[in-house]
Amino acid sequence: MQSSDQAKATGQSSAMLVMSGIDKTFGSNQVLQDVSFDLKAGEVHALLGENGAGKSTMMNILTGIYAADAGSIMLDDKVTPIQSPADALSMGIGMVHQHFRLVPVFTGWENIQLAAGNLPDLAPKSILEERVEKISQQVGFTLPLDRPVRTLAIADRQRIEILKTLVLGARTLIMDEPTAVLTDEESERLLDQLRDLAEQNYGVVLITHKLREVMRASDRVSVLRQGRVVLSGASVSAIDQAGLSEAMIGAPAVEQPDRTAREFGDVLLKVSGLDLPRRSRVSVNGTTLAVRAGSITGIAGVGGNGQQELADGLVGLMKLTNGTIQLADKDVTHASVWERRRLGLRYIPSDRGTSALSGGLSIAENLAAATVRAGQYGSIFVPFGKLAENAVDAISKYAIAGAEPARPVRLLSGGNAQKVVLARELDDAARVIIAHSPTRGLDVAACQFVHDELVRAATRGAAVVLISEDIEEILALSDHIFVMSRGQLASTENHKPDRRQIGELMLGHV
Amino acid sequence: MFDRLVLERRQSVSRKLSGGVFAGSIAVSLAFSGAILVAAGVPASALFDEVIVQVFFTASGLAQTLTMATPMVLFGLSAAMALRLRFWNIGIEGQVLLGAIFASVVALYADFGAMQIPVMMVAAAFGGAIWIAIPLILRERAGVSEVVVCLLLSSIAYLLLQHLLFGPLGDPAKNFPTSKVFDPVSHLTSLGFGNTHTGLIIAIVLAALFSIILQRTRLGFFGRMVGDNPSAAQANGFPVVLTTAVFILISGATAGLAGGVIVAGTEFRLTQYVGLHATFSGIVVAVLARNNATGVMISSFFVAGVFVAGNTLKVFYGMSEGVVLVIQGVVLLTVISGQFLSTFKLTVTPGDTTLKRQG
Repeated sequence: MQSSDQAKATGQSSAMLVMSGIDKTFGSNQVLQDVSFDLKAGEVHALLGENGAGKSTMMNILTGIYAADAGSIMLDDKVTPIQSPADALSMGIGMVHQHFRLVPVFTGWENIQLAAGNLPDLAPKSILEERVEKISQQVGFTLPLDRPVRTLAIADRQRIEILKTLVLGARTLIMDEPTAVLTDEESERLLDQLRDLAEQNYGVVLITHKLREVMRASDRVSVLRQGRVVLSGASVSAIDQAGLSEAMIGAPAVEQPDRTAREFGDVLLKVSGLDLPRRSRVSVNGTTLAVRAGSITGIAGVGGNGQQELADGLVGLMKLTNGTIQLADKDVTHASVWERRRLGLRYIPSDRGTSALSGGLSIAENLAAATVRAGQYGSIFVPFGKLAENAVDAISKYAIAGAEPARPVRLLSGGNAQKVVLARELDDAARVIIAHSPTRGLDVAACQFVHDELVRAATRGAAVVLISEDIEEILALSDHIFVMSRGQLASTENHKPDRRQIGELMLGHV
Repeated sequence: MFDRLVLERRQSVSRKLSGGVFAGSIAVSLAFSGAILVAAGVPASALFDEVIVQVFFTASGLAQTLTMATPMVLFGLSAAMALRLRFWNIGIEGQVLLGAIFASVVALYADFGAMQIPVMMVAAAFGGAIWIAIPLILRERAGVSEVVVCLLLSSIAYLLLQHLLFGPLGDPAKNFPTSKVFDPVSHLTSLGFGNTHTGLIIAIVLAALFSIILQRTRLGFFGRMVGDNPSAAQANGFPVVLTTAVFILISGATAGLAGGVIVAGTEFRLTQYVGLHATFSGIVVAVLARNNATGVMISSFFVAGVFVAGNTLKVFYGMSEGVVLVIQGVVLLTVISGQFLSTFKLTVTPGDTTLKRQG
């Protein structure tokens, strides 16, 4: 029915794969809305979008991991239901996930054998060997298939994963953020190999949020934003980077909280030349930042670029290798978490369940953690009656729904649990507030509440650092904006980049 | 295609449900234990009398059970305090032995008059604390699993005990590896009810004290905070390592104290058997009590009853030690399974694992 329209829309050669009108809802959260996508043999089609835009969900539907609520998938012009990953593979659709599906102690060959175990036509060893040999040659891979996978470099493991997928019969190869685990050099090589695969008439879907990769390796690009397609199958040669980044980031927000009344005071947080030890792929280095009383400094960026490390370093959970941190005029470079807290540092971590709240303890106890720690109620006994009284106040002030002081925190919903964190962290003594993704996983009302509270804290004279992947949030709240990319902070000269500039800084090609 | 069994965590577990499940588990475990005993040759008609009446409802039986329960309260408290801080103290036996050795040394070589018993008990606690300090330091400094170290240290403590009994602390007048009998000044006072002694008072007071510490004090607050979620405690500026160390040393000291109570209260000398079953009983008691200090008193009474019944069965029906341990194991397994089922709900979802697609 729709196939003729689709063919028109995508040019002359017919698509090997067309997804149309796909909807998907998780609970009350609509992740995909009327999404369409098509792929031709012999092309690399990039799927661009921020974290949470719906890229992975879309591809999980294509590979049969999720079922769509509505819409259809057509393969070679026939509507084809895909029920499971095995189903997808038998129809020639294979996916290379970000986390490889390889058994580390098995050799590459054993991993391929294991995966081919279910396919009768590949069962005899000689046939499988022949096929592995043929495809390796065809795509130009020379891999040490006789060595345990765990002894191989990440890039080789990835190639084994690709080879495995092709050996199992994939004609369409979906690569989920393949360069996220690679070094720059390896990334270049991979992108070349993806081009080669396209030359061999495979269809490649490249999921990414890096603009550079789109421009470098793909023929066409689609952009997803908040579950909708905002750019569909545009030819890469006909599009400019600026337009692409704007499509990804979205249109300007309508309303911004009124901040005119706020005046900036002294510098309360001063970070100079901060280097942190490498904990993941990126290491934070050379961070310099000064945040004044009454101001909010936003740090945007795609997650995993060093934000968690920066937060840990500022709060005192991670030792610095270089640089200094000053709170007001006190040097706290080597101070413990508690010493920093006593000087007015407050922390709203990105994962409240792990790093802020004790789920088994009551609301009253969680609210009182810092005051009990400080010994404000006395050094030996804890007056639980008093704790409960104070909790009742906080519960009503912050409108924590359905909360009794004695209720364990783990029974609260995300939004209400976050209110407990805010009630505790945004006290009157808060001078510097580090808020990391404070609205992650919250509904609209709770987001609004968190934003208002942060602004209120700043108005009271606190210096706020807001680390977030949500660009709307950063733009709406921040007086100064930085972008974190590969462990480094970048900004425009006046520290007030606009939406487009943020997008460019995020994509790391400035 | 296939129906799926799904475990769903219950939002909250009501007291009624958890109490009901607990009682149910005990009933089920008694039924299982009864079946095992009957299979092992105990006449079914004698079961109720031997296992229930003789253990809990006769004066001599009750006295035996209370005497047996006395060190078990301390084993259980030791296990519970450590488990609260996510530390598996599998070395209670070793700490008990060290406590017994330290107390015995005081009893055999010193006389502090009226202060004799307090000094012995402090020495015993100190011995236990030293023995748990080793796995504690190794874990905090070098990340070595406390389970392995605790376990191995129990064997080392046992060898040390044997060395002492066959050598310097042995009674040269006897062929058995025991020490001389302590002078009366080193005996815990009898309560005048069977073999019960003031150790029972010590155990009850300590259980009450730990209960207050955990529920009412700042130290207890720190402990619950660190035990519940160490990373949150760290991010909130709590002294995680220090808090852990305090609780774990208390755990070791409590086990050591149990050793002191055993030699001064029931054995009146150092023997090879003072640490027998300490670890296992301690863990069973703590798990049954869900690491609750007050609950430990009740569950150790119950577990002690199993041992006392076991002794009767051993003597009169020729049951082996193994059968008693099997019964303990059955009790533990049913109660833990019961706890699991009260925290999770088992549901069956019919049909395919994928959702039906439309269009």
